Amino acid sequence: MRAAVRHALPMIAMTAGVVALQLVISAADRQFYMTQLVMALYYTIVVMGLCLVMGYAGQVSLGHGGFFALGGYTSAILTTRNLAAHLRPETLQTLERIGLLWSRTDLYGAPLATLAPWPAFVAALLLTGAVALILGFPALRLKGHYLAMATLGFGLIVYRMLLGSAFTGYADGITGVPPWRLAPGVTVSGAMDNRIVNYYIACGFLLFVLWFLRNLTGSRHGRALRSIHDSETAAKAMGVNTPRLKLQAFVISAVLAAAAGSFLTHFNGGIGPSEADAMKSVRYLTLVAAGGMANIWGAMGVSLALTFLSLRGVFGVYDHAVFGGLLIVIVSVAPNGPGRWVADLLRRRRPTVRSSGAAAEPAT
Amino acid sequence: MKRWTLTMTLLSGLLALASCRRDTPPAGPEAAVGEPIRIGALFAETGPASFLGAPAARTARMLTEQINAEGGLLGRPVELVLRDTGGSPERAVSFARQLIEEERVVAIIGPSTSGETMQIKDICQAAHMPLISCAAAEVIVNPVASYVFKTPQKDSQAAAWIFKTMNEMNISRIGVVSGNTGFGNAGKAQLEALAPEFGIEIAASEIYDSRATDLTDILTKVRGQNVQAVVNWSIVPAQAIVARNMRQLGMDVPLFQSHGYGNIKYVEQGGEAAEGTLFPGGRLLIVDTLPDDHPQKAPLAAYKKAYEERFNEEVSTFGGHAYDAFMIVAEAIRKAGSTERSAVRDAIESLQGFVGTGGIFNFSPEDHNGLDMDAFEMLTVRNGRFEKYSKP
Repeated sequence: MRAAVRHALPMIAMTAGVVALQLVISAADRQFYMTQLVMALYYTIVVMGLCLVMGYAGQVSLGHGGFFALGGYTSAILTTRNLAAHLRPETLQTLERIGLLWSRTDLYGAPLATLAPWPAFVAALLLTGAVALILGFPALRLKGHYLAMATLGFGLIVYRMLLGSAFTGYADGITGVPPWRLAPGVTVSGAMDNRIVNYYIACGFLLFVLWFLRNLTGSRHGRALRSIHDSETAAKAMGVNTPRLKLQAFVISAVLAAAAGSFLTHFNGGIGPSEADAMKSVRYLTLVAAGGMANIWGAMGVSLALTFLSLRGVFGVYDHAVFGGLLIVIVSVAPNGPGRWVADLLRRRRPTVRSSGAAAEPAT
Repeated sequence: MKRWTLTMTLLSGLLALASCRRDTPPAGPEAAVGEPIRIGALFAETGPASFLGAPAARTARMLTEQINAEGGLLGRPVELVLRDTGGSPERAVSFARQLIEEERVVAIIGPSTSGETMQIKDICQAAHMPLISCAAAEVIVNPVASYVFKTPQKDSQAAAWIFKTMNEMNISRIGVVSGNTGFGNAGKAQLEALAPEFGIEIAASEIYDSRATDLTDILTKVRGQNVQAVVNWSIVPAQAIVARNMRQLGMDVPLFQSHGYGNIKYVEQGGEAAEGTLFPGGRLLIVDTLPDDHPQKAPLAAYKKAYEERFNEEVSTFGGHAYDAFMIVAEAIRKAGSTERSAVRDAIESLQGFVGTGGIFNFSPEDHNGLDMDAFEMLTVRNGRFEKYSKP
């Protein structure tokens, strides 16, 4: 019983923190922070997923920007492509009745019938999962940095294809992505009067990912994954099916990135090719490193804070430079993540109180 | 156990840090006299589109200082709220929302690229925020959204100018090369759509990567079609490379460029090979040779002088687009006599005969660009300088 409470406590505290933050922001009449907060939350989900691959499975992926874009673009294309002219009216009606299709008129009054956001979201996840499977299957059977190379190539291909095809709107990307109604009164959109709802949607998604990853890494699978990170040979000798586990972690993380991409595309009402830029993937990767690699809390905290500040334009024209500089400082001063660094500092100050307990505490 | 507590502490600390940033309280519509008029600006000062955004941002800063030195607008000082988008749409979206909800600006000028503008077009329209884009694509103002305007001339007008000049030169068989960006693709589409109207045949059409460093392969293909002229539609650095590669291949047919050629840096990069290049451009580039009685002469010369003295670099078309956008907003605020967004929008839409760098703007409910064919001149490069093209 006590163990269960101990395990659930961080999640409860986190949920309380989410609610408290919303109340503080509302009380201070600074609701506009939520726009960037929501965007940062979705990017953080990508970073947390990547943490599973890098910190636990010990593999480097340079293609998460590509997976994010794949998810976002799939949703964007399927929910903006007008099918009104291609399908017979009866077919349209039938499809709409079962909830697959959604007819409306656009901003200028022309009839518009597109796929509904739900099936588009599912399609985005399936497509990304399949692509990650195809990409990871050969690369992860090999030892070494083959996944890094394969995903780097994949990211570049996605970026060039987005820039080069009329289908994805060339350099302009896709706009006019409709809001996504999850339930009555719960809609993913950037509308001003919808900010608090969207904050809770994004936080709910993040909490789910946190809960899922904590359980996964704490399970038998998670321990097996970490053993791969420490020594693949030893893990194999212990009977761990290393290629399969690595592949699972990789696909899960790619699908999480795609899901975040899909949500953010509906929130922003559009997506552009810069999401698939190699710099974006490198940013995700460095955020995981700065968070302390196998440290989901650290990755979450660092990513949320830095992405939020960056999206608010705090760093101005020095965005890349400040970002890079901060990451260098974090990685060199606190290689296990800022949280652990502060903990170490406190421990040093009070050596008698915590030293034995802290040292014995297992690194989860 | 302790780790998550600390992470949370750290996180809230950073959030607190963010909130105590030099935030000025948002100015409500009932702002007191003397309170600054806030004008928002989104430009790609850094990143791949910085050759568009950097001159635009400098221009906006300079004009803000100038207006304040002259006593501001409606007796109130002007404050520029400038954000660097780095050319990425998601940052443009984030900053546009910031300017609308938080900074409560009167209007937004920029962004520089069509992609970013299209991402925030609906946001600004829904929030009833006047947006004066500095990007070229026609989709920005077609279909018309009542709060969205743009200052650069239309692609179709640039294409029409090129074809008109070709007709005069008795050219009927051409090759088109274009970059794979949104700008290149839009231009290619306009050229293909308008060519039959002018009796011109596009014998070869090639697309290249906008970051290509050598284009001899595709130009060889174009040369094989015995074309009488080549049209290139792209943005730097390919514009200089096309000229150089054509020279290397011994192609002595005329080279036409798009209105994106309007920065003297491209001529410098092209060197000797850039001589004789033809392109449609605004009069800002040839202001020195304009007759004194031309309505654009005085304001353009003043802007050029101020910009070049201040920043020690030659004025470009792209800074000019920002000049137009900023001055249109300023003029509209003066005309409306208020900073109410709807009043400012109405004032912009009814603006007539406004003299800018891009031409003389005449807005209407149907035309949110306000420029006609007369906005362009056919320009050429002689002795490393831009000058007006005249038939030899």
